[in-house]
Amino acid sequence: MGRSITLRKGAISASTLSEPPGVLVAKRHHLLVRWSHWLNVPILLGLILSGISIYWSSPIYQHKPDPGNGNFDVAADIGIWICAHVPGLHRYRNPPDWIYNHMSLGPGMLAPALRLHWLCAYAFMLNGAVYVIGLIAGGGWRGLLPRRADVLDGLRMLRYYLGVPYAKLSRRQWQHPRFDTKYNALQRAAYFSVPLAGCLSAATGWAIHKPIQLHWLAAIFGGFDAARVWHFWLMWVFILFVVPHVILVFADGWDTLRSMITGWSARVKRPEVRAHEQ
Amino acid sequence: MNNKARGFFGERPLPTVEMEPQVLRRRTRRDLLLFGAGTLAGLAGAGSLLPQSPRESWLLNSALRIDDDVAEALYSENRSVPTYTKSQITELKNNYNGATPDPGYIPGWHLVLDGLASGVSIALDIRSLVTRFSIHEQITRLVCVEGWSAIAWWAGLRFDGMIRAYPPISQAKWVRVESTVNLDASGNPDPYYVSLDLATARHPQTLLATHFNGQVLTVEHGAPLRLVAPVKLGLKNVKAITRLTYVAEEPRDYWAERGYSRYDGI
Repeated sequence: MGRSITLRKGAISASTLSEPPGVLVAKRHHLLVRWSHWLNVPILLGLILSGISIYWSSPIYQHKPDPGNGNFDVAADIGIWICAHVPGLHRYRNPPDWIYNHMSLGPGMLAPALRLHWLCAYAFMLNGAVYVIGLIAGGGWRGLLPRRADVLDGLRMLRYYLGVPYAKLSRRQWQHPRFDTKYNALQRAAYFSVPLAGCLSAATGWAIHKPIQLHWLAAIFGGFDAARVWHFWLMWVFILFVVPHVILVFADGWDTLRSMITGWSARVKRPEVRAHEQ
Repeated sequence: MNNKARGFFGERPLPTVEMEPQVLRRRTRRDLLLFGAGTLAGLAGAGSLLPQSPRESWLLNSALRIDDDVAEALYSENRSVPTYTKSQITELKNNYNGATPDPGYIPGWHLVLDGLASGVSIALDIRSLVTRFSIHEQITRLVCVEGWSAIAWWAGLRFDGMIRAYPPISQAKWVRVESTVNLDASGNPDPYYVSLDLATARHPQTLLATHFNGQVLTVEHGAPLRLVAPVKLGLKNVKAITRLTYVAEEPRDYWAERGYSRYDGI
């Protein structure tokens, strides 16, 4: 694919002056990157739902049992708080189970949750391998690597995002920081660290799953119990990534969403602009 | 030239191509339709393969089987389980699934061995076990399928020593470990049985434990004899064993019948 494009690019530069220009499109994401990207949606959903069901059977965050109701699980406390404070939930039948009824397969579902978790975990690792192959085959991995200027550029992006609501309300011009790379510094930081979090999730998962045969792996994360804490918070990395990720894709527009489905982006500078580079 | 200046890790410009607007539109439409069809097919597939009755789901069963095979491949009879010092011992809760049995069974208790090469079944009482076999101590971690774990100090005879003293039938690949004193939550008899592969039974740190934290086992921890197999999840570590049966085919397993893994190697 890449080869045929370069050939046609040569043909275009010879004839651009005489013919009316079509749409200039860039191939932004390799087919395997796109597939594995979307497969992550059901896989991560399955991992999180079953993971929280597994968490229920032995919560990491516990306190001394409440003398009133015998509850010791912080997640149950949060459910009780939600049912007491959110309008319309006052009559919820089992407040301590609210979190598990809404964020997992439900309480008392350990056996099915474990099966679903293993299925999704193996799928997640395979899918991660496909993603890496796609990054290498399409050369996309270079676009994810951190740069020296990323800290400052990232702060500029952050300032921009924080200023957007005020600029919209006051109808002022608010310039998006300029960058001529595939991603801006904040995107790059996110897209670099999420695959890293994926690797860490798999590693901590194995450490918890096989704490005897792979005890050296559990030891890297500070032992079996600490590896469980790591694994739990790595889940939150995905949740906290996905929320702004989805919002920003829609804010950024159709071209960005389309590029993850079809691979093409029509937001490309004309080759004349780049001509001086060659 | 340019690529050299950027170095191996430098970002390259995206490959571009000029195309007719209609071509881009047509390709976008085609890919969107394919994507939508794929999503629908995925949803339909997930709907028919997942929850409702997880134990009959082919997909979930395969994942569990693959995971058991991985666990078996990771196991080695020569790899020893990490041991701990006495200062690292933690509290071990009584995790009997149902009610804790009444200690009345202990005085009349004996261990029955079946499936022996000799063809006869043998009954041993606790005194003959303790005097006949040498006692080994170890401080190992017991890991529960629920996610908690405890570091506990055990003493008992090696399962391997028992196998050598009373050799199983030559075809034996499994041992069925059974407790008839187990009770359900309302206190009714609920015999407990697990399958244990002989490779695990022969591991030097697989014990038939008689002591816990330096004391004779209490009824909460499976007096007078319990299995301690630190390479397996806690649910295989049967308390108050009453019978060991060596068999050629994989025997039934209490928790596998309730939707859990059957190998449980950790």
